[in-house]
Amino acid sequence: MRGLEFLVFLLLPLAVLGVWVVYPILATVVLSFTTSSGFSLGSHIAVVTERSPLKALIYPEPGPYPPWGALIHNALWIAIGLPLVVFLGVVLAYLLREAYGSGAVRSVIFLGMVLPGVVSGLTIRFMFDADIGIFPKLFSLLGIQELAKTWTIYPQTALLALILGSVWLWLGFSVTIFSAGLDAIPKSTIEAAIIDGASPVQIFFKVILPQLKPVTLVVTLMTIMWILKIFDIVYVATGGGPGGSSTVLALIMYTYFASALEYHKAAAVATILALLTLIPAGLYIKSVLAGEK
Amino acid sequence: MSQQEKRLTTIALALAVISLLLGGYALVVLQSLSSSVSDLQATVSQLKTSIDQLTARVSKLEGAAAAPPPASPVKLVVIGPWAGKEADYFQAVINAYKKTHPNVEIEYRTMRAEDVAAVMPVQFAAGIAPGDVIFGWAWWIVKMGKEGHIVDVSGLINENDYIPGIVDQVKDGNKIYGVPFTMWLKPGFWYRKSFFQKYGLSEPKSYDEFVSLLEKIKGIPGVKNPIATGDGVGWPMSDVTEHFLIAYGGPQLQLDLISGKVRFTDPRVRDIFANKLVPLISKRYFSEPIEWTTAVTKWWAGEYGIYFMGTWITGMVDDPKDLDFFPLPEARGVVGGADYAFVPKYSRNPDAALDFLKFLATEGQVVHASVPSGKIPTWKKASVEALWPPMQSVYRKIAGKGMSILPDLDDSVGGDWQKLFWDQLKLLWVNPGALDSVLKTLEASQPRP
Amino acid sequence: MRRTVSARRVLVSTALLVFAALWALPFIGLVVTSLKPYSEVILHGWWSMGGTYSLKNYIEALQSPFYNLMAGFRNSFIVATASTFIPVLLASLLAYSLSYLDFKGKTTLFVSILFMMSVPQQMVVIPLYMLYAKIGLLDKLLGLILLHSAWGVPWITFFMRNYLKMIPSSLVESARVDGASETTILMRILIPVITPAVIAASAIQFTWVWGDFFYAMVFLASPDNWVITQRIALLKGEYHIDWGLLSAGAILALIPPLVIYTAFRKYYVRGFAGWALKG
Repeated sequence: MRGLEFLVFLLLPLAVLGVWVVYPILATVVLSFTTSSGFSLGSHIAVVTERSPLKALIYPEPGPYPPWGALIHNALWIAIGLPLVVFLGVVLAYLLREAYGSGAVRSVIFLGMVLPGVVSGLTIRFMFDADIGIFPKLFSLLGIQELAKTWTIYPQTALLALILGSVWLWLGFSVTIFSAGLDAIPKSTIEAAIIDGASPVQIFFKVILPQLKPVTLVVTLMTIMWILKIFDIVYVATGGGPGGSSTVLALIMYTYFASALEYHKAAAVATILALLTLIPAGLYIKSVLAGEK
Repeated sequence: MSQQEKRLTTIALALAVISLLLGGYALVVLQSLSSSVSDLQATVSQLKTSIDQLTARVSKLEGAAAAPPPASPVKLVVIGPWAGKEADYFQAVINAYKKTHPNVEIEYRTMRAEDVAAVMPVQFAAGIAPGDVIFGWAWWIVKMGKEGHIVDVSGLINENDYIPGIVDQVKDGNKIYGVPFTMWLKPGFWYRKSFFQKYGLSEPKSYDEFVSLLEKIKGIPGVKNPIATGDGVGWPMSDVTEHFLIAYGGPQLQLDLISGKVRFTDPRVRDIFANKLVPLISKRYFSEPIEWTTAVTKWWAGEYGIYFMGTWITGMVDDPKDLDFFPLPEARGVVGGADYAFVPKYSRNPDAALDFLKFLATEGQVVHASVPSGKIPTWKKASVEALWPPMQSVYRKIAGKGMSILPDLDDSVGGDWQKLFWDQLKLLWVNPGALDSVLKTLEASQPRP
Repeated sequence: MRRTVSARRVLVSTALLVFAALWALPFIGLVVTSLKPYSEVILHGWWSMGGTYSLKNYIEALQSPFYNLMAGFRNSFIVATASTFIPVLLASLLAYSLSYLDFKGKTTLFVSILFMMSVPQQMVVIPLYMLYAKIGLLDKLLGLILLHSAWGVPWITFFMRNYLKMIPSSLVESARVDGASETTILMRILIPVITPAVIAASAIQFTWVWGDFFYAMVFLASPDNWVITQRIALLKGEYHIDWGLLSAGAILALIPPLVIYTAFRKYYVRGFAGWALKG
């Protein structure tokens, strides 16, 4: 009887995973390294050296503002978006612990997590529109005319608009996890610090932050993985423009795949994207396995 | 873990391997089966076409008329680019057809040409078509035709019945892969007559007068910029740009840019940009790019003075009678283009689809041009009197000046370059200093003759 | 001492509420745009309180045969429901195996599942596309459902396993000693315990599938088969975009995930937290 149970409990799910996840992943890697003539690095070299602004991974003639190429745009996204997500997440989670009406605030912040990406993309367009958007209006009140325009149509600001928009979307995740992390901190450590006469700020930095290290690691890695895969908000809000100044890896993979039908190149971009994702994923897996012990 | 359990584990793993192998084998079998089935289908359809051809020949011998309307009810799915009001205008064409063909049920679906070009090739490759009659870009129809996905309609329409050059767009050798429907024009800058009267403005007779007109409009209270810049996925900017190139480089330049004979880095091209267009952008005569339907509303409300747009704008304003336009004074040609429709080889009802296609190419055009669609027929047998009145004047203004009708630059080149062109112009509009890098980028990917 | 604390609390709360209000503004703008004629929004801004409010945009978006949002909703519901049920079932089985069955290569399997969790979607579409084209699953909702289902299995497995770890293994052991079969153990002991996990995983998976755009764009080409996200993104005419309609459509599209979120909020939050905090 046990054998049958093995079959159902273990092999049925594994067979499904085999056909729809494992096989396609391997096949994509193979596709990216093959051409009509057999094994070759041709597709990988071609996508990395592509010069057209709408498809370039690394733009050959970088100027003072984008386009710099999708790889660089993704890196920039991590460099700007990640600290914002982590910092705002910690601070908000900490402040929300003792605030009145924290449930309502949490709900609003979490809203971005449940929006379909397409709707988020539209919302980002709204946010940064010169006539009806919050940000341009804010800057025109402050008298900063350079930023009182529609952000998504200028190469200087299109990518930044998307990055800030993505923080708006993703902050809910960060706040939720940090809140859980704060709840898990034993009260006794904080009480001891209060008895020692520490100020709230000191408590935050000396007692709480060190204990949030593992949680911060998870938020960081998850956020990086999420940023690397971003597609729909870019597709809807800017389509990668103007002048290719807001392209990202996932969008370029789709461009090769859908409009040009260049499967090998699309597979090469996907493989590069997957390799990049493996770095944070590997670290995350390591932390999970460490927690298992 | 007991002995028994260990044994069971081994058995289970063995079974797992076997089942995976079986699954793989089943997949392979299924694939080969499906391919042989599709081979069979291909053979059957080949047989069917040869029989059809035979019947056609026989019926020609007998001097029979066109295919009679189908006796049993059929359903056609028509995919076209129109949504909202435009879709209502097209519905009028469908309704006219249904009057004479009560057995044909027609479902209309909206899908823009760029989406059609993006999603259908993959489907055709798999031998499926989401519609029976589909509208798409001419270059793309020819490309798909060459790959064998589209029904050749050379026997269906008579080329000489159409405005010269229109059918050539969908021809490959002696094969015709699509039929032309009605035509739009991109004739010039539109303005409200009441606005021009109120501020004592008049149509310019030269480039200098054009610039001083812009300067006058700039001084009017409430005006943000003299010219509204529309932005779809970049195309209304490409239209203004082409209009400048045609006006100051001549109609032939447009054709040479399309063929790639003249490069974008050519001094003639650069001069037009540098001396005529870019100064106007730099001086803020053009607004920054605004989502183009939004721009219609704003321009109509007086935030902008003039707006370059195609003839479809006539159907988008509250009062078409208050509408007039002027081309750039030196222009001797304007861009015009037809929508093209085709029948994919994978249509489930090819006969009914072809009959509707023929209607679209002929009488259907008259219906479409008689409603406020902002279109004129490409079919020469339609009379000017049948046109919607505001379009009659457009027709006369362009035809009366003896202007040539030219194909659209980026629609003709198509493909990735079109997207690049749009995207680069978006860049130029907000950053006119980038002119030389824009031209260089455009030239690098421009097709060679 | 007490009083200063509560004063600070009030201050912090006020600051947070202001922050939340600002945070919600883009969303409010979207709602207002969907309730007003678009010409009013662009000429007067959505923050002007006056003007005409109506549900006209919603009615038109739902009724217009050209937008055909209803069909999009139908397809999205079919896909999201099926793609929630199947993987939750499969993942429960797998999580159970990982927790209570002994077999060789368990750790390897666990690590592979963690890897599968983090692979980008772009990594699987091309071969599957070719496969589907051969076996006739292209442009079929079933094809999309199978893919979404398989794609959901790894992370839900991990998620469930985290929950199962909380159950003392002695419970299961004693049941085994009593001679209960694995199925009985599953039904009697584990199901009640992991119900919250199932709810949380289902809610997250449903929301995720509902919002997916990439897979749908690749595998569904016919307008008839489009899911709601595709309709929202692609519903622009050649010469006509009505932002009022578009906003109304967008709001309609986010109602289902919003309802699910509101109904299962506490599960959701616990689920996300479970991601980070090991047992």
